[in-house]
Amino acid sequence: METLHFDTKAIHGSVSKPDVHRSIRYPVYAGVAYDFETAEDIEAAFAWRKPAHSYSRISNPTVEAFERKISTLEEGFGSVALSSGMAAISNVLLNLLKQGDNLVASRFLFGNTYSLLESTLPSLGIETRFVDITQPAEVEKAVDENTRLIFLETITNPQMIVPDVTSLVEIARAHKLVVVVDGTVTTPYLFQAKNRGVDIVVHSTTKFISGGATSIGGVVVDLGNFDWGDYSNLVDYRRFGQGAFIARLRKEVYRNLGACMAPQTAYLQSLGLETLSLRVDRSCQNALKIAEFLQGHKGVLNVHYPGLPSSRFHKVAEEQFKGRFGGVLSFDLYDKKIAFEFLNRLKLIRRATNLNDNVSLVLHPASTIYCDFSAEERAEMAIGDGLIRLSAGLEDAADLMADIQQAMDGIR
Amino acid sequence: MELTVNGHGIETVPGITVADFLKSQDVESPDMVSVELNEEVIPRQAYGTLVLKDNDRIEYLYFMGGGAI
Repeated sequence: METLHFDTKAIHGSVSKPDVHRSIRYPVYAGVAYDFETAEDIEAAFAWRKPAHSYSRISNPTVEAFERKISTLEEGFGSVALSSGMAAISNVLLNLLKQGDNLVASRFLFGNTYSLLESTLPSLGIETRFVDITQPAEVEKAVDENTRLIFLETITNPQMIVPDVTSLVEIARAHKLVVVVDGTVTTPYLFQAKNRGVDIVVHSTTKFISGGATSIGGVVVDLGNFDWGDYSNLVDYRRFGQGAFIARLRKEVYRNLGACMAPQTAYLQSLGLETLSLRVDRSCQNALKIAEFLQGHKGVLNVHYPGLPSSRFHKVAEEQFKGRFGGVLSFDLYDKKIAFEFLNRLKLIRRATNLNDNVSLVLHPASTIYCDFSAEERAEMAIGDGLIRLSAGLEDAADLMADIQQAMDGIR
Repeated sequence: MELTVNGHGIETVPGITVADFLKSQDVESPDMVSVELNEEVIPRQAYGTLVLKDNDRIEYLYFMGGGAI
């Protein structure tokens, strides 16, 4: 059974205990607490010697079924599901970093992640050293004796920059750093993080994984590549061996912060995994068609999409993501006024702040996700005033392109 | 052969591996268990080949699941 293919694993998963009624899909356990047969049993559970669920903020059978399915798809060591993608990122960083530590991170990140690293972590005495993640020499130069990890996204949004993960893993290995990757937009279907040497992968499961924006969620996966034996912040968990990262997360950080995934969400997201590859393939096809359509279109200054051969990230993306390039693209119009006019004229594509929905979505990043940053900071992050982000849904590409065309035609 | 398991004395057959011992103790989900043998964490890959000896001390802990809170 080790040789099952991705789609088969996405449907059948790997449950720890079959449902008592042999339900085809693992049911929703909406309850909070669980009964123990004896006092000795609950004592064993609290002493970490019995794998029982005791309280749904800590673990839940439906959430566990989702976690096991994710671990199977990532070929990972273990997973923890959370209430959102941002909860996943913040839990990982608080599990691995303490006051006085620093991390090296891409300068180009999702706006809320950037804010976490730039504003929230420094208030806890944790420094982020922002670098151009596509320049390995710059990354290595930022590392010192207090650096613990490198953080990056597989494809940045909305800049559509693709780091060469292999070269970053080499730097991390040389300095005994953990590599943490946000793989939301590529999912385990396009990017097999374990085989690339990544240590921890996080996903906002709200996006592709949820089945198309059915629910908010996140997940953390320890891929089993990092030896936690000497990792200073996990010293109290050394007795868990390779399980040290997951053990501290589950038994301390995740427990204490309380950002658990709801069982109803886990059910929807397990269902979403069943159709993941079909939706990702369609979305990637649509994004490529739209990018080709926009390239050279009158009024479009630049198109940012690694699927275009003209992109400087085309080669690395093709190699890292199995010849697909994600479902999101961005493009520059002349200025904010023109960008707003374009957005307001769209009839089919919706103006909304999400990605990888079944519905195509469009957004003006400078006035939304990045509105709290100064013009100078936005310029540093390559967020121009005329930049538009488009997340290609699953509609017929011809209809999406017709909508874009009519919106462009109406601009004065 | 006598072992000390999670602080309690247990009789078991000689020549038993860690994996077979966990099975004999009805340890659920051995893939979610870490094992200390005489206070040394042993890698999961060794469970199937490492043979236990008389008077060995074993501690096993679950790092997944939710009971341990």
